Amino acid sequence: MKRLIKRICQVVMAGLLLTSSAIAADSVKVGVGIAQTGFLAPTAEPILNAYKLWAKQLNDKGGLDVAGERRPIELVVYDDQSDFSKEAAIYEKLITDDKVDLLLSPYTTAAHLAVVGVLERYQFPMVGSTASSEQLKQIKPGNIWFPSPTMPSQIATEYAKLLKAQGVKSAAMAVLQTPYSLETAGLLRQTLKEQGIELLVDESYDFSTKDLTAIVSKIKASGAEAVIALTLPGDAILYMKAAREQDLLAPYQFLLIGPTGDWFQKMFGNDLDGILTAGHWSPAQAKWPKAKTFYDDYVAAYGMSPDYLDVVLSWISAEITEQAVAVAGLDKGKLREVISTHTFDTINGPIKFDGVQNATTPVMFLQLQGSTPQIVWPTDLATGQLKTKGPWAK
Amino acid sequence: MEQIASLQILLSALVLSSVYVLVALGLNLVYGTMRLLNVAHGDLMMLGGYVAYWSLVLLGIGTLGSMFGAAALGALLGFILYQFLLRRFLSNSRFAQRLESNSMIIFFGLSIIVQNLMSLAFTADPRSYNYMNGIVDLGHVRVEASRLVVLVVGVAAATSLVLFFRYSRLGLAARALIQQKDAAALVGIDANRINLIVFCLGFGLAGLAGALVSMTEAITPFGGFQYTIAAFVIIILGGLGNLWGGIVGGVLLAFIEIYGSALTSTAYRSIIVYGVFVAVLCLRPQGLLGKRIA
Repeated sequence: MKRLIKRICQVVMAGLLLTSSAIAADSVKVGVGIAQTGFLAPTAEPILNAYKLWAKQLNDKGGLDVAGERRPIELVVYDDQSDFSKEAAIYEKLITDDKVDLLLSPYTTAAHLAVVGVLERYQFPMVGSTASSEQLKQIKPGNIWFPSPTMPSQIATEYAKLLKAQGVKSAAMAVLQTPYSLETAGLLRQTLKEQGIELLVDESYDFSTKDLTAIVSKIKASGAEAVIALTLPGDAILYMKAAREQDLLAPYQFLLIGPTGDWFQKMFGNDLDGILTAGHWSPAQAKWPKAKTFYDDYVAAYGMSPDYLDVVLSWISAEITEQAVAVAGLDKGKLREVISTHTFDTINGPIKFDGVQNATTPVMFLQLQGSTPQIVWPTDLATGQLKTKGPWAK
Repeated sequence: MEQIASLQILLSALVLSSVYVLVALGLNLVYGTMRLLNVAHGDLMMLGGYVAYWSLVLLGIGTLGSMFGAAALGALLGFILYQFLLRRFLSNSRFAQRLESNSMIIFFGLSIIVQNLMSLAFTADPRSYNYMNGIVDLGHVRVEASRLVVLVVGVAAATSLVLFFRYSRLGLAARALIQQKDAAALVGIDANRINLIVFCLGFGLAGLAGALVSMTEAITPFGGFQYTIAAFVIIILGGLGNLWGGIVGGVLLAFIEIYGSALTSTAYRSIIVYGVFVAVLCLRPQGLLGKRIA
């Protein structure tokens, strides 16, 4: 009896080994380094969720279309521990040791910049995602592309135009001391001046600030019509609390990053009504039929709505990679050419690159109406009408 | 200058003081009695925050109720850690010779374990909830009800602790242990029992602080580090192991932060806070209320 059981186990193991070897031989290995631990993990996790959902949906359909042949995707994920200094080594390992066929991008601009050299050294194309900085314009076209339209210069130019179009004459600015916010602030000072909008308050604060009462008090005292808070989610909470407490009723209140997060909406509910934020996407935009499908799929998979910025960008980067592989297969040279020249059909509409930049998607501004983000600028892509911020909910 | 007279600013400073005092009290207790550097303090706070979050989401119990559960869980963790791990180390003379550095390594390991367990159990997604966020109008000042609760509970906890250590037998015994460990043992004070109680109290306070903070901020598994740093700054500023020092340090730090920013600019916040910190330590290396080492 013992011998029989042993024999059966051996046969089963052999079968499993053969099967897994067969799967491994056919699968397309897709590598990514991303923060799964450390201070960036909370905001990086939804991005990894987007990648996992993308891989799962393709595998449910039979796999990734590799120039006409369906092959299953195998994600190879490494934790960069929220440490950008590890990123280059991780991506080098993915290329040389794990021998991945494709790469998905890491999280944050700094992480992207860290891997540019590796991609160039190994001539390995990768579509970027959550990177946004004027520094990106200095990168020579090669093996990386950036689909994000929320570049500091575009935000500064377009938001000043939006305020001017509403007849705003004065503004107040509160800036978190991070590279992205500081870059945007520097450019906003110029564009607001060009539009004839006077900056009455111009304050900055660091990451460890626990209370924005003093800044909001100054803003309220100034009587500025527009408040521009260049925040990340954590300090966006501090702004909202201080603004509510002090009943700040400036008609236009803008938080750079934060309001489109599912957990942020749960925290503030109807108080977000009228708050403006930066973005470039909405599931309500009927011109992008895939947008609503993605939104519904993400909610069904994870029980929360996707962030309208980073998660969407990550999905777009995966979509572009997928469509490029369908045309070019896994040949790096052909992939590079396809990504550089084709127009891709994404959840954010058509995307085409000019050099390393997205040449087709404009920066947009969203406004929370009720607790739903609606595109309000530019007006030709609007899904909702821009309105002034009403009273805070009691 | 109007900012100095602003009641709104004053209330914010008081609320922030309450947060800082609560955060620092637990850490100070543990260090004061046992010279253990609990660098996992902020992570224990996050655990308390998760207790508050899941109590509301799953059981419908608001933070006013669940904060006691958070404190109890913290105390239970403290009990387990002390009884099954630390007690053995503390009785080891070689370990005791380098107590502070050894304890830092142990608690650093605990910090990593707690962070990653929370991440596995709850994911790294920020958790937030809407509770007692109605605005309370106090005449010239408006404040969120949740922030008012933080202020009241912080004052109550600090007051209770001061009274406990001043008037209760256990409190007096703990103070004797802090002052003179060997002499305390000679007069019959059970050091192990006192250490255990104080350890549980310290961990319980961390859980309580986390539950309260979760009303005003999003909770993540990796968000505790900033509180650990703040707590260490406060207890060093006030005087290591000195309860009143922790309270004074917390209030001072909060007022410097709020009023320093209001009078100058928030851009100078860190410069002012850490500038004062360094200046105090240069003048009084033992901290504001710490005892000078001869």
